[in-house]
Amino acid sequence: MKFPPFGLPFRSQSASTAPAPRTTLAAAMEQSRYRLMVTAAVVTTVFATIGVKLVAATLFSQGGEPRQHHALELDSTTTNRADIVDRNGNLLATSLVTQSLYADPKLISRPEEAARKLVSALPELDYKEVYGKLSGDKRFVWLKRNLTPKQQYAVHRLGVPGISFEREERRFYPAGNLTSHVVGFTGVDNNGLAGLEQGFSKRLNEDPATPLQLSIDLRLQHVLRKELTATIQEFSAIGAAGIVYDVRTGEVMAMTSLPDFDPQDPTGLNPDTLFNRATLGVYEMGSTFKIFNSALALDSGKIRVSDTFDAVHPIKIGRFTINDYHSLHRALTVAEVFQHSSNLGSVRMVQLIGIAAQRAFMAKMGFMRPTALELPENGWPLAPNPWREVNSMTISFGHGISVSPMHTVAAAASVINGGVFHPPTILRRQPGAEIPGEQVVSRQTSDMMRRMFRFVVADGTGKSAGVKGYVVGGKTGTADKQKGRHYQKNSRMSSFLGAFPMHDPRYIVYVLVDEPKATAKTYGYATGGWVAAPAVGRIIKQIGPLLDVPTVDENAPEILNATFLNAAGSTNWAQQAPNAPSSAAPPPPKGSTVASFPTPAKPR
Amino acid sequence: MKGKTWLFWGGLIAAAGAVLFQTSYDVQDLEEKLAGLNRKIVTEQESIQVLRAEWSYLNDPTKLEELARAHLALQPTEARQFLALDAIPMRPAPTPDAAPQAPLPGRGVNPALPASVVPVAATPAPQIASARIPSPKLSMDKALERTPVIVPAALPAIPTVKTAPIKPSALIPAAAKPPAMPPAAAPAPQPTPAATPAAVGKLAPNAPLPALNRPTDVASRPVAPSPTTKVIAAGMQQPKPTDSLGMLVARLGANR
Repeated sequence: MKFPPFGLPFRSQSASTAPAPRTTLAAAMEQSRYRLMVTAAVVTTVFATIGVKLVAATLFSQGGEPRQHHALELDSTTTNRADIVDRNGNLLATSLVTQSLYADPKLISRPEEAARKLVSALPELDYKEVYGKLSGDKRFVWLKRNLTPKQQYAVHRLGVPGISFEREERRFYPAGNLTSHVVGFTGVDNNGLAGLEQGFSKRLNEDPATPLQLSIDLRLQHVLRKELTATIQEFSAIGAAGIVYDVRTGEVMAMTSLPDFDPQDPTGLNPDTLFNRATLGVYEMGSTFKIFNSALALDSGKIRVSDTFDAVHPIKIGRFTINDYHSLHRALTVAEVFQHSSNLGSVRMVQLIGIAAQRAFMAKMGFMRPTALELPENGWPLAPNPWREVNSMTISFGHGISVSPMHTVAAAASVINGGVFHPPTILRRQPGAEIPGEQVVSRQTSDMMRRMFRFVVADGTGKSAGVKGYVVGGKTGTADKQKGRHYQKNSRMSSFLGAFPMHDPRYIVYVLVDEPKATAKTYGYATGGWVAAPAVGRIIKQIGPLLDVPTVDENAPEILNATFLNAAGSTNWAQQAPNAPSSAAPPPPKGSTVASFPTPAKPR
Repeated sequence: MKGKTWLFWGGLIAAAGAVLFQTSYDVQDLEEKLAGLNRKIVTEQESIQVLRAEWSYLNDPTKLEELARAHLALQPTEARQFLALDAIPMRPAPTPDAAPQAPLPGRGVNPALPASVVPVAATPAPQIASARIPSPKLSMDKALERTPVIVPAALPAIPTVKTAPIKPSALIPAAAKPPAMPPAAAPAPQPTPAATPAAVGKLAPNAPLPALNRPTDVASRPVAPSPTTKVIAAGMQQPKPTDSLGMLVARLGANR
């Protein structure tokens, strides 16, 4: 205290230092002086604290209490789950805000009247059920989820007390069945239950402002699905799968599995429709596997394309006998083995290569584990373990190992794109971003495989896949289906793996048809060349212009330089000049022409 | 003097208080307005979301194809409709009147096609008219830009065939015709490219399917446009940059 105690003159303070007579009055004076001092000290401290706090609160706390309202950010969305769009930005899945109707039965005085009114406004509700809910003694019951604005208006108009609306979100799929197996669907609480909705559920909820962009192109998806539907119808098949694949980036441009489902209402459907044949289903691929057998043979350096192999004598191993479908009764070159899809030739090739090398090559091609595709429906291949000699022989022509169509397509892409295996993806790769890849076969092998692909379509089992101007190449495949312990003769998987343009491959179109039945038009055949190859041809014809693939003349010298191969295994087209145009130009597609433009009268 | 000081300070405090209160109420008003605007923005965003979903739903390729088949005489483009830039002749610049008589080298797939091609079908239709405007001095770029438009003018045989008015139904092959169509459509000459002798040698070998002989090609477009061909031309035309709906449709692949 700087100032003297209250009520005491200065003089007396100095006088108090001198011994003074202690009277009762002086003692009382002293006591009250101390009390006053303490009181003054407390008051001063409190006021000082208040002053300091006031200064801090008004001058240094940056605007006092927090604001109640903030302007919305421009790019924010109102929904809690991100959209899914295709590579061109078309919506594939989006969240719409809807109102859900609930009631508090405690607040409803006359349940029968309320229930009657509600059923009159929402005819799809059941009176008894609603009455039961409203007369119960809970505090909260859902009456109906996700009302349309019209229904909400109708319920509002009733003016029933005790019922109210809750804002909810509902997933909506504008493309419907078209992308059902890719996008998947969600449950009633918007948690993903299948497809990308499940695989990316966390990402979709965590970053709702940025849409998830897929590599799928809706237009290609439509063409693919249309042609597969037509093929199924024509051959009374039980299912089909199709993939359009970018061999340079590993992007899946379109992927369909039929039968498909309506993602808006996936419950109560046949589980068969929910099964994704393109990624989850693993099948014995049949002759399509000769792509990898030939690539293995050529890449090993032990076999050249002009080497010949005995295709006359059946091979006996254990209790099995391996034979050809239609034997030519002579020795075949590697090119001819591929062209005529000879099982015997393939087995003799792999006998020369060895079992260990084959197994290592198949592992390199990704046939030992699920693909890198982001879908949760990603099938594990069924590879033999141990890998015996008999397995090695059957695998050379595509039996005894089961892989998904996606496996086959991704591996085939690496065989023809210059030898680089890109992990397949269903998300769009950012332009300029580095594409992961691994060199699996040499550039020379890849070049020769391109010629072999082209040879099959120019003059082999895949002629009906040819499209003038797009230099199509490919490989057919027909596998007998295994039912139980036996192979069935009349249920098969027919497939065709087509690629175009073969002088510089850009896209693979793959079609797999499950259990096609032969028709009169195909002369009783239901093999890959008769069922799947024409479909691939029709698809390429339609998607070529959409994908901006330049058309070329197949007999132009620079194209023949890159794609020519003859049965003897020679790549020199000039030697065969008089012969070349006839062998290189595919005839107009045989088989079916119905699918390209189905007439309106036809049921689809 | 003392009273005046009090008055001054008192007035100052009162004024400050009034300004403070005014500001506080203003801020409250603005906050309410902001909240209202935010609500409106959310509502608008929700409606935009609904409209986007509806737009995508209506633009489903499956639906668009059905509509196109029902109302348009258009077909998917084919490989033979693409032409290399080199295969298109240069415009003979100094004599604009003689230009239409210049013979064309082979159409369709040319044996000497290099990789670069230009889609003929995508050539903007309005340029047909501009081709006949005499413009004696053309730069190289302009000439290149306008060369494709000579193509329809160089096929003079076609309009004589198409004197009869063409109904849209006549453009559809008989098999695809719905039975409810008027019978007048049947006797009308099929205006397919194969009907004209000039086109037979050039287009028929390249046409693999009978259903593809519809006049989607530029070659079969008459010089004097009849009402129906105007419709076709309008359909083939690429949307103008100002035509937002057309751009959107093009993006969605409606015009294939």
